[in-house]
Parts: sequence; C-alpha cells; structure tokens
Amino acid sequence: MIFREIGLRIQQAREESCLTQEELAERLGCTQPTLSNYELGKRRLYLNLLNEIARVLNKPLDYFMHTSEQDQGDGIEKLLLDPQLKEMLISAASLPAKERNLVQDFINWRKNQK
Amino acid sequence: MIGFALTEEQLAVQKKAREFAELYMKPYAHDLDRMPAGHFDRKIIDRFATHGYTSFFIPKEYGGQGLDCLSSAILWEELAVACDGISRVIAGSMAAAKCLIVGGTSEQKRRYLTLLAGGKKRVGAMAITEHGAGSDVAAVSTLARKVKDGYSLFGTKYYITNAGVADLYMVLATTDPAKQYAGLDFFIVPGDAKGLSIGKIEDKMGMRAAQNGEVILDNVSVPDENLLGKVGTGFLVAMQALDLSRPMMAVDAIGIARAAYETALEHTRKRIQFGKPLFSKQAVSFALADMATAIDAARLLTWRTCVLIDRGHEFTKEASMAKLFASEMAVEVCSKAMHLMGAAGYSSDLPVEKYFRDAKVLTILEGGNEIQRQIIAQGL
Repeated sequence: MIFREIGLRIQQAREESCLTQEELAERLGCTQPTLSNYELGKRRLYLNLLNEIARVLNKPLDYFMHTSEQDQGDGIEKLLLDPQLKEMLISAASLPAKERNLVQDFINWRKNQK
Repeated sequence: MIGFALTEEQLAVQKKAREFAELYMKPYAHDLDRMPAGHFDRKIIDRFATHGYTSFFIPKEYGGQGLDCLSSAILWEELAVACDGISRVIAGSMAAAKCLIVGGTSEQKRRYLTLLAGGKKRVGAMAITEHGAGSDVAAVSTLARKVKDGYSLFGTKYYITNAGVADLYMVLATTDPAKQYAGLDFFIVPGDAKGLSIGKIEDKMGMRAAQNGEVILDNVSVPDENLLGKVGTGFLVAMQALDLSRPMMAVDAIGIARAAYETALEHTRKRIQFGKPLFSKQAVSFALADMATAIDAARLLTWRTCVLIDRGHEFTKEASMAKLFASEMAVEVCSKAMHLMGAAGYSSDLPVEKYFRDAKVLTILEGGNEIQRQIIAQGL
C-alpha cells in the first residue's frame, strides 16, 4: 500500500513535469516497464532511486513520502489535477480582491444551502 | 550466462568458514543452547571478532572485508550448519550495519561501520519491533521528540536481537506520529546511552545462544547527527535493509536444513534394523532424496537473489521467494529428519531437535511468511 502511494506521487510529479514514463525512465537509467512497476507499487522503491527521482523531477524527497490522509489537509496539488478546479482558481486569481470576496461569499452560500 | 561453479575465492571463503565453524561454533552449540535466558556468553563475539567474522559484510573502505552477497551467503551457510543460534548474534549486527550502509551519511558510515568492523569485538542491533508494530512497521510508536540540537527518544522495543549485548542500536522512531511512515527515522543510539535499559530477556524455543529482549528508551538523548541520513527516510531504509537481509535468512534456513539432513543421512546409513541399514528402505531413502532436493532448490533460489543484488538488479520479489521457500523447507526437512531418526531425533542427545527449534523462527522473523507472500503477490 505504501509503495503504491509513493508510486502515485511519482506519477503525479512526472506528469507535472510533462514527462512520459519513457522519458523519465531514460533519465533514471531504467526501462519504462521498470518505472511503470514503481509507479504501480509492484516493485519496492529504494532510497537511492527515490533520491534520483526527486532530483530529476525537482521535488524535495518528502514530497513522495506524504500519506493520502495528509492530502485531506493540504492536498492542493492533488486538487489542481482537476482541470475545472484549476480553471476556477486561475479565473479567481485574475479578479480584484473585492470581487474574489463576492465569489467566496457565493461559494459559502451554496455550501450552506446543502 | 548462468554458471554454478564457485570461484577459487568463493571456495576459499567456504573452506575457511567451515573450519572456523567446526572449531569455534560447533563445540559450543549444545551448551549455549541449554543456557538459561539472560546468560549471554560474550565469548561468542570474541571468537567471531578474532577470526574476522564480525565484519565480512562491511565494505573494505570502512575496515570490513567487503564480501559481496553471494560470497557472504556461501560463508554464512557454513556458520548456519554449525549453529544458527550463535550466528544470530552476527545476523543482528549485520542488520544494523545494513541500515548504516543503506541510509547513513559518509560521516556516519565512517564512524559507526568502522566501530563494528575489525577485531574490536563490537556488535550492533536493529531495533524496529514493538508491541504494536511487528509486520506493520509503519505503526512504530517510539517517539523521537525534537529538542535543542537533537532528539529525545521514548518507547519500548521488543524481541530485539542482541538486546543488552549491542554496542550500538539502530532505533526506528517517529518524529511525528501524524505523518505515519513518512515520519519514521532511524537513530543511532550507543549501547551505554543514558536512559537506555534492558527489560525482559526472552526465553525462546530456539536460537537460544543469541539474546533477544526488550530495549527500553526513557528520555534517551541523541544529537542531531545521530539521525540516520536524511529526515523522513527511516521507513525506506528499514524496508531496504530487511530486503537485503532476506537472502541471508534463507541461508540460515538452508544451513539448518543441511545440518538436519546430514545428521539423518549419517544416522540412517549406520542404524541397522531388520538386518539392514535403515537407508536401504525405500521409504527412508526417498525421504532423504526429497530433503536433498528441497535444500538444493532453496539454495538456487537464494543464490539467484544474491547474484541479482551483486549485479545491482531488482531483487525484492526474488528475495522474498527465497526466504519464504527456504524457511518453510527448513521446518519440513528438520521435521522429516527427526521422524527418520525416531527416538534419537527427538532426544537432545543428538542436535536434530535443536535444528527443528532453531528453524521454526525463520518463518516468523524479519517479515513473517505471510508478508513474504504479500510482497511476492504485489510483484506479480
């Protein structure tokens, strides 16, 4: 389970870097099926390789070591994988602060309706 | 290309280990097995250290002999044949060294691997298991509270090999329980650290020459530099160190099984019943044929894992296969050996009942066999 979670993080970081499995595997000096096995949690990932992955994908090591429970608290990067949420954030950022407050009020009002 | 012939160097390692085991382990095996719990004999460490067997697994640059995994397995089998209970003392130290090799900084390796190497008569211990954290390593609750310039450790470790014997402990603890496995780190704790004490010593069924017990950490202070490697890496280091230990544990099983098989073979060839040696009965010789085949199969699985490790290939699944197969094989072979020898096998006059007791723990230790099956299944 834990290695599956680490694998998901690698997949996420790889996609953020716009790299295919083949491209990342090449940079790591392993094969694409091997990388795929790591991302799927089928093979155990050891410290040296994870350090290398962190270096190539420009992430701190602990990025890969966060649990899904922690994501519930501050999983903003995971939320941003949703295109609609990402679009909403970008649109909100382009609004003046006052209007952002209005949007927030609307969201709060909708939430209270439920 | 697959080759099965050992090199001259490997044959020399094997011969030397066999001679050492015959002279310095076998003569003490019976008595050490009969010692009451809590009476650890430090001469075990003296003998290992004097003949260079406390450091064959430590890289040359840190004062060890730097044997590769396959050569280590060849050496280890000879020790396990003589007495795996005595070998366990070094296995405990090897586990601690593996943590340092896998996760330590250059300075930590230089300082602590050299401490374990050479003829210094020092051994280490890996302290992971707790009352509530056995197979579930991520459940470790020993707390490492951050203080100025270091950490204070609080918790109790159970069943620790070399408890009360080790000169240094690699203690797995959490710096933040909310982070679960990501909050785990190894801490290098000297055996004489203030606040470290030894609780109950286990009275075990087998492996009695080695000492296992509770290690109690009550406000043990360690400086920042005693956190192994980088923060948050404890879980990964533990997994890798345990994976690396697996082929050696398989070798423990092969050694014990070989000892039981050789004893049974000799006994059934000598013992006359109905006017002929027992071995002439097909029921007996076929059982021995099965035993010899199973031992060889386990050795091949194990050596394959060692070669994968030595060549830097992936080995997790193969290591678990070796440990799973070899440990179950050893229990089976010892049981068969005991049965073939009848009352002599059951009596403590001959060591087969000891082999049986020693073998059983290998299906439980360092990842029970259900965990091995889980690892194998994940890799399918």
